[in-house]
Amino acid sequence: MISFSYVWNELRRRIGRTLVTAIGLAAGVGLVMGIIGVSEGLSNAQTKALSPLGSVGTDIIVTRTVAPTLSTATTTTTTPPNGFGGGGGFGAGGGGGFFAGRGGSTLNSADAAALANANSSVITDLAKLGPAGTKFTHDFFVPGTLITFPSTAISDVAKIKGVASSVGALSLDALHETGTVPKITASIKTGGQTISATVKPPVLTPTQQSAERSCIQKVIQKQFGTGTTGSGGTSPTGGAGGGGFGGGAGFRFTGGSDSAISKCLTPAQKAYQQNVVIPERTVNEVLNPPTTNTATSTFTVASVDPTNTTSGLVTKAQLVKGTWLSTNASTANTQILVTTAYASQKGLKVGQTLAINAVNYKIVGLVNPTLTGDIADVYFSLSNLQSLSTNQNRVNEVLVSVANAKDVNSVAKAIRVALPGATVLTAASLADQVTGSLSNARKLANDLGGALALLILLAAFLIAGLLTLSSVSKRVREIGSLRAIGWSRGRVVRQIMAETLGIGVIGGVVGIGIGAAICLIIGAVGPALSVSSTGLAVGASSVSGLLHQTTTATVATTVHLSAPIRFLTIVIAFAGAVLGGVIAGAAGGWRAARLSPASALRDLG
Amino acid sequence: MTEVMTSESASSANGAPLYALSDVTRTYAKGGVAVNALRGVSLDIAQGETVSLEGPSGSGKTTLLQLLGALDVPTSGQIWFAGRNLENESDKVLTEIRSKEIGFVFQQFNLIPTLTADENVAIAMVPRESSREARTLRARELLTQVGLDHRFGHLPSRLSGGEQQRVAIARALANSPEVVIADEPTGNLDSSNAQEFMALLHDLQRRLGVTIIIATHDEEVASHTQRRIRLRDGAVVSDTKS
Repeated sequence: MISFSYVWNELRRRIGRTLVTAIGLAAGVGLVMGIIGVSEGLSNAQTKALSPLGSVGTDIIVTRTVAPTLSTATTTTTTPPNGFGGGGGFGAGGGGGFFAGRGGSTLNSADAAALANANSSVITDLAKLGPAGTKFTHDFFVPGTLITFPSTAISDVAKIKGVASSVGALSLDALHETGTVPKITASIKTGGQTISATVKPPVLTPTQQSAERSCIQKVIQKQFGTGTTGSGGTSPTGGAGGGGFGGGAGFRFTGGSDSAISKCLTPAQKAYQQNVVIPERTVNEVLNPPTTNTATSTFTVASVDPTNTTSGLVTKAQLVKGTWLSTNASTANTQILVTTAYASQKGLKVGQTLAINAVNYKIVGLVNPTLTGDIADVYFSLSNLQSLSTNQNRVNEVLVSVANAKDVNSVAKAIRVALPGATVLTAASLADQVTGSLSNARKLANDLGGALALLILLAAFLIAGLLTLSSVSKRVREIGSLRAIGWSRGRVVRQIMAETLGIGVIGGVVGIGIGAAICLIIGAVGPALSVSSTGLAVGASSVSGLLHQTTTATVATTVHLSAPIRFLTIVIAFAGAVLGGVIAGAAGGWRAARLSPASALRDLG
Repeated sequence: MTEVMTSESASSANGAPLYALSDVTRTYAKGGVAVNALRGVSLDIAQGETVSLEGPSGSGKTTLLQLLGALDVPTSGQIWFAGRNLENESDKVLTEIRSKEIGFVFQQFNLIPTLTADENVAIAMVPRESSREARTLRARELLTQVGLDHRFGHLPSRLSGGEQQRVAIARALANSPEVVIADEPTGNLDSSNAQEFMALLHDLQRRLGVTIIIATHDEEVASHTQRRIRLRDGAVVSDTKS
């Protein structure tokens, strides 16, 4: 039996000791409550900021990214589409193509070749851009490390049990080049030339003609003997003339008389024949490329389905200004959405236009996309971006919504089975990509929060225990007297524990007040925590590496921390205080139990 | 007249003494040195006697009181109380004996500072009486008997030394004990209050028939007792009955 009036009188009439001990406990549990609240707040902030897929109606993202090693299992020959940024021709048809079923988690050689080809068109051929001085602007769309694949994957995913919806999307790197075609351009081709020339031979004087004719006749007579000479004559260049020789046995002209006849030619004729040789030439060309003023900038683009406002890389809910893309396909093909960050960076506003490949696209809305996932700077309609990037009927992401949240992991597993080699990302895996003070704080809370709370609680218990021990030590006479007048050891211990339990209750109530105040103050002040994230695909772009630039679309967001107070937190705080009271009571009771009534009286003298 | 009393001469009317001590010794270890606080004490105390224990400091008065009050057990020898040998009794039994049959009055009064006069008296009844109302009623009855009917709700700090000692007497009588043991009960009282205290104690002894054992330096107090036992160096040097 415990004397509650005694307990009550002890608590209220030793108010100083009661309050000091209670406040010690209260401070402990208040801080613990604050830590729990902050941890809860961080958790909520993380849930809000680090689980973006849910906010875009997506639980899982399916992609196919470049793996570090290449598979040698396939020999499928593919032909990528022509044009800039064309997606690879790998796909459903080939033996080892993407999602073909046996490629494993690595790319096959066809995939790799197609991917390389898709990203290779970023080299500008200046010769095709017009004459020197022509100003040019060009935009390239390349898939980076996110390989495109046939849209049939969307329906494949949709068939998996537990999938509520699957939406395809394109997420690409864009390279924007501007400049002037340089004045110095050269086209050098060597070999295979055919040179022809028409030359008028020198004119002979009548004397020269007569002498030359006489000389030739003598040569003929000397070689062939005499005979009847027909009409006609010799050509100026020697040889048989047009009439030929008639009569008698006749003769056959042989080439052996050429050197003899050539002696009959005039010096001018002889010189003419020797000088028809083309002189040799040495051509020196400058092989360095011409200097140009080409400037390159990069940004990221992605697609949305204008008719689907609730699921996609960005949703209508994330539209902060302007309107959504038109549901009319032809109108939508002239419209774009821009992220607030990119608009701010480039000074873009709703209603302005953005020229891409010489086509002006109207900015109809600004969006604030989620922190992770594929964050792009500019959003086109899917069909428009497919056309722009010559990726008709191809996508490089499938956004999957799962009917029941608890099935996310099982659906992800089924997708991996259905689409071998697919990179299947869930919200949990995306959270790992988030950095910033929120992430750091959350990590800190995870790593140290529990230990810190435990440490504070232990310190509070220790303080309460020491205070109680001290109090009991000061009450030796009182406790000895109680023992002397017939109180058993157990009754004394119970009495002291009841007192400290009472202190624990007071400490709990005060501690809840302190904890609530801490949480409310944190909520009111709302410390800002930065959260930054990069798009999962474009951040690892090969194009970025190629240009030694970062094309990653980075979104930095500030989240204001709150520290919610939950009923369970209050229960934990109160239980902690009561436990502290019990521990302190146990310490005091242990001290009291060691006092023998005789010792107590002897101390009294 | 001074004589050393024998156990037979201290027997009560029915022939059984309330206390019977036989060759009791009590040794303490103090700083690694054995201190013989009592050296072979043998004596009997009859029911209803008023006994004073006298002697200088260190003579063994308090040690003998602790043994008589069942607060301690002897190192050797036997202590019989109301027909029970306390030598080998457990702490639980000794506590029970103290609760039912022994009342204590201390030099420093030892009242609980956070409890009022009636609460201080009632607290002694907690082990035996579960009803708070009954305890309070009994406490106030006893306080009235010691002349403190106007001080029920006062804290010890608001009472004089004499009043506090009266509260201590009321508390000692709360469980209707067989014996009241007082350790220097007038040590903190002036002569007037000391006389009042002794008068009150005798009155209660006459009315209630309790045995009273007082350890004191005060000759005046000792002179009011029926029997005076003198101790020196842990041994009884004289035992006289007036």
